[in-house]
Amino acid sequence: MFGPFRITNPLSGGLLWKIPWRLSKFQKARQRRRLRAVDSVVETLHNALAKKGQTLESLERWKAEMPTEQEMLPKDKYTIFDRKEKRYRKGIHKLPKWTRVSQRVNPPGY
Amino acid sequence: MSYFRITLHRSAIGLPERTRGVLAALGLRKRSQTVFHPVHPQFAGMIMKVKELVRVEEVDRPLSKKEVKAERTPEPGFYVERPAEGGRVGL
Repeated sequence: MFGPFRITNPLSGGLLWKIPWRLSKFQKARQRRRLRAVDSVVETLHNALAKKGQTLESLERWKAEMPTEQEMLPKDKYTIFDRKEKRYRKGIHKLPKWTRVSQRVNPPGY
Repeated sequence: MSYFRITLHRSAIGLPERTRGVLAALGLRKRSQTVFHPVHPQFAGMIMKVKELVRVEEVDRPLSKKEVKAERTPEPGFYVERPAEGGRVGL
């Protein structure tokens, strides 16, 4: 039952892939909510600085380069490019710290 | 003069030293702590670095620690009609 010689699926030589290959609908909903939260922070900063007539390089670049949650394709919201993966895509939950980093754009054509 | 009201929503545990350094520079030490900084590109840039971790609003004036605490303290559920005999005055 216990100890080093217990029979579990990984120890029996079988591959047990416990992390699902795709997100559940609840994970996807939370992912969209996080994306919108980041969008709102960027929007707040942009409006506050615009009122004072000031700009910020990093903010301008983000606004120019990054799509908002509404503009993103579902493919980009929930998956990420990976050159080693079949069909070059894997779930975004394979990205380390994926709930606290921004990962929005992927190589064009993939 | 307007201010950014910045609340740390997500912890920075396990994130790079640079990110945690930015939070330290903003004065954010623990989750749901709130700090106020003037609207200025310098602070906006710092917020951009940690935008996934914080919630930001623009406010007219910075609130004191007491006012922030009062905001999230629930109603006590009672009110004092009349202080008790010999009770403290002014409660």
